Amino acid sequence: MTGILFILFAGLAIGCATSMVVQRNPLYSAISLIGVFISLACLYVMLAAPFIAAVQVIVYAGAIMVLVVFVIMLLNVEEEERRPLRLRFLIPVAVILAAIFFAETAFIIYFVQASPVTLSRNVSDVGLTSSIGGGLFTTYLLPFEITSILLLMAIVGAMTLARSGGLLSSRAAVVPGDQVFSKELLDRREPGDLSAVTTHTTKEAAQLLGVDKGTK
Amino acid sequence: MIPQLSWYLALSAVLFTIGVVGVMIKRNVIAMFMCIELMLNAVNLTFVAFSSFFHDISGQLFVFIVMTVAAAEAAVGLGIIIAIFRNRESLDVDDASTLKL
Repeated sequence: MTGILFILFAGLAIGCATSMVVQRNPLYSAISLIGVFISLACLYVMLAAPFIAAVQVIVYAGAIMVLVVFVIMLLNVEEEERRPLRLRFLIPVAVILAAIFFAETAFIIYFVQASPVTLSRNVSDVGLTSSIGGGLFTTYLLPFEITSILLLMAIVGAMTLARSGGLLSSRAAVVPGDQVFSKELLDRREPGDLSAVTTHTTKEAAQLLGVDKGTK
Repeated sequence: MIPQLSWYLALSAVLFTIGVVGVMIKRNVIAMFMCIELMLNAVNLTFVAFSSFFHDISGQLFVFIVMTVAAAEAAVGLGIIIAIFRNRESLDVDDASTLKL
């Protein structure tokens, strides 16, 4: 029974992966990739790892693919056009190397199967949420914290990359606590001048901007 | 017929190879990005299979961390893709073969 399920989900995963590579429209590729993620989640359930399966569906099929589909639609990606194949003379070399590679793989798999070591699968609590949480907050606490720093860096990096232009020139040095304006903002006669004008107090800033009417 | 460890490893190898082939033959940046995600998933399958067959929790914790790295990679990678598109008006890697944005 589990063998049939394995073949079903493995076939689905390989089929979706192949379709992802073959498709020319990126949106169809993305939907095929979601199919791969879902079938891998089913395989995780068969491997007695329900927590990882749930995270796979939520993080991969949910969050990451929504981001990818969002970017595909935002950029309005057109289909890839066919291009003439360069380096045509390398195709026979590639076929020979692939044949050698497959022969090697078959050799290794044959001898691994012939070896007498067999692994048993009996019921254990490995893969349940409590055991994963226990491992994450005791033995692997340092990697966990490093991962959180990595996520923070990703947030800052994504915001820096996706920001359009900016009001200041990249050479402007800013001291924390100061209020900084670009010269363009303060003086209409110099459009495009992004050098920094620094003020130290809110009152000074208001005077520079010309909104200091009330205190006069 | 119970699935053996080698079945899962073979499936993982096949998925990883499809991902590598995709990265090599695709020219669209977003398609290459998705192939990299597929390769990460193939490795995750190996981790979970070993973890399940050896009754060791470490493999599944690694998978958890790999997923976090993949999420961070998605955020930064898509930011880079948007920046490239804004400068080049194209998503073809051949149009962005110089490192200058």
